[in-house]
Amino acid sequence: MTSFLPTDEEKEFIQVAKSIAIEKIRPVAREIEKNQVVDAFLVSELDELGFLALETPENWEGLELPMITQVQILQALSYGDLGAIQGLPGLGDASTLFRLYPNHPLLSTYRDDIIHAKKSVALLDLTGNTHVTIENNNDSWVINGISQPVRLASFADYLVVMGEDSDGLPLVIWVEVSEQQNLKIEFGDYRLGLLASGMGKYVFENVFVSEELILARNEEALRLIGKIRPRVQLLQAAKEVGLMEAALDYATEYTAGRKAFGQEIAKFQGVSFRIADMAMETRIANHLVWQAALELDEEKESAGGSVLRALYRAHRSVRYVTDSAVQLLGGHGYVQEYPVEKWMRDAQAQVSLYGRERELLIARGEQLIGEPIGVKNK
Amino acid sequence: MITYELTEQQKQIKELTHWFAENEIRPISLEADRLGKVPDEWLDKVNKMGIQLNTSSFGGDDADKKSSKNERQGNRLGVIATEEIAWGDPAIALSLPGAGLGGPPIQSSGTPEQKQRFLSIFTKDKPRWGAYALTEPEAGSDASGVQTTAQKVDGGYILNGQKIFITNGGRASWVVVFATIDKSLGRAGQRAFVVEKGTKGFSCTKLVKKMGLRANETAELLFEDCFVPDENLLGGEEFYKTAASKPSGFQVAMKTFDSTRPIVAAMAIGIARAAYEYTIDLVRKEYPKVGQFPTIASELLAEAEQDIAAARYLTWEAAWKADIGVANAKEAAMSKAYAGQMALDVCVKCLEILGPIGLDGHLVEKLYRDVKVFDIFEGTNQIQHLVIARRQYAPYNVRV
Repeated sequence: MTSFLPTDEEKEFIQVAKSIAIEKIRPVAREIEKNQVVDAFLVSELDELGFLALETPENWEGLELPMITQVQILQALSYGDLGAIQGLPGLGDASTLFRLYPNHPLLSTYRDDIIHAKKSVALLDLTGNTHVTIENNNDSWVINGISQPVRLASFADYLVVMGEDSDGLPLVIWVEVSEQQNLKIEFGDYRLGLLASGMGKYVFENVFVSEELILARNEEALRLIGKIRPRVQLLQAAKEVGLMEAALDYATEYTAGRKAFGQEIAKFQGVSFRIADMAMETRIANHLVWQAALELDEEKESAGGSVLRALYRAHRSVRYVTDSAVQLLGGHGYVQEYPVEKWMRDAQAQVSLYGRERELLIARGEQLIGEPIGVKNK
Repeated sequence: MITYELTEQQKQIKELTHWFAENEIRPISLEADRLGKVPDEWLDKVNKMGIQLNTSSFGGDDADKKSSKNERQGNRLGVIATEEIAWGDPAIALSLPGAGLGGPPIQSSGTPEQKQRFLSIFTKDKPRWGAYALTEPEAGSDASGVQTTAQKVDGGYILNGQKIFITNGGRASWVVVFATIDKSLGRAGQRAFVVEKGTKGFSCTKLVKKMGLRANETAELLFEDCFVPDENLLGGEEFYKTAASKPSGFQVAMKTFDSTRPIVAAMAIGIARAAYEYTIDLVRKEYPKVGQFPTIASELLAEAEQDIAAARYLTWEAAWKADIGVANAKEAAMSKAYAGQMALDVCVKCLEILGPIGLDGHLVEKLYRDVKVFDIFEGTNQIQHLVIARRQYAPYNVRV
């Protein structure tokens, strides 16, 4: 029966995550942004609690939690600061690959590096990216081009590439960064937000990929990509909901205390109605994320579409809610003594990094109508 | 545990009500709009089938008794069923026999004797209606400003005043009427009465013509030295004397909204879904397959589908909270605020996709006319914002 009450186990997870978010993450968020790296002590604390490995399978010493539990924990953690959460090292967006291939022979050879040496993995999804090419060269492949910015790229030791070669063959490729002389990282000039997230571009100059580095190809790769992408997208959407909750609560408390024209500004409906809209948007994005998480857990066919819808709405809502928070704080919202200007920047950077809104919307619309638009236009 | 899945029982209720909406309501939708009324013989027929506009007729009360020992589900069943019925046609949905919006105040605040007397009349022998009369020419959103007076006299009260915008007010067997015993007392002076049809001094003076919902009766009611006996004071005299913080008619009215707003939201969702499904079906069959049209339709329909789902989850959450006995005023207001505005927006998007052909004999233009009032009645969008904001600021002791 429709119900919205977390389980007791989820409540405990959320309670721990939320207290860390408030007591440990938020107070150091500015420092993390300034240093462009998450403090090692904080990383270690989160790692000990398993919060770096929510999606990671148990035989890789992860928690391997259902999506519905993961999204709630990520919401709670991101309530502290999205910029800090996005800078956490580990398997990052590649976690799902390990979850789906827990015993893959190639991945297993890196087990010690990843579990004990705490090395990080970045994920590069080339779908829709025309600046990187993968040429087939007699059962080996050569990658050329410059990628779009990828989270964790600046410090990740390994890279997973999802895309297709020039013959249209879907591939999932494992790359050990230090072993590839022709692979460089362009650190770039990032100023908008998520400054500690290790964003960087991969520069491929005839990077040779032997057959042994192919994790999956053809139908198998297509299936794998089809399973990884929505899980990555939804986990990102969940983080956005956490940021929205933070911005809503902060703006509510601020406007309840700030006085102008002889009274708390909350008493002006221009202010309080905006807070009400923020509260509704936050709740809506929350529901769409939870609903999609449950569909992913149940492996429903409709899950992919629900994820597109949840991510699109989370993007739209997080922009609105964080912008509103800055607006409601007025001039104070614009300066760095208050966290909301950072949250607005982080939100926009997050939206830019994880899927163009209009593309998500059109893809969802195509699913609903039942025909891809490209096919119609042909 | 968090779940958006319907139980087997909920699915059955949804399927049953959808079947009824599709096969009995939708076929007469445009004709009822043209006539400006729902045909009497149709109302008689559905009443004999036991279809009524109150949650219990869709399994609410009975289902509560049969369901798990600890959790009620009447509110959730109510919103699930109402969405389907409104999908068929909202004006007809509001015209279905039954206690309608008058039911919740009697159920929540009436004495056992009043519940028996007023709620047991909705039988299959002939269609009957209940109604809810709060709004006045000078008291709309500000429900605390009710001007209708109730003067205490021996054995009852004398009511004087006017009520407007009363759904099914002319045909109702009884109307829950809000009046004040002393204007200087403000909200504390308000009382709720059940005024029965045929009571001397009580009349329906006008049935108004509207932008939409034309098949549904909207009445103006007049009370001229209308004597209402003590036994029709909702809850009885004791109800208003039970505590230092005395309940009032105003609180009866406000409490009613917590259960009726999700129902009204569900109706708006049903309307939006009707427009969306009608339009996507047309796009699949007849829309140009080339140029910019498919892209425009994809974007608009994807947004519409998402907005409908968003409103539904807000509404289910409000109903769920009511079922588990947790205060739900904020969630109820959110569901109504969002669904009312969203549904109009979805109808606009659908009209945009249809273009000029949408003006001629297509259901969507009617739904557009119908849906506007869902952003107004049962508390305007602005009032819902006020309710949400008040709850949001409550932890900081700031009354907005």
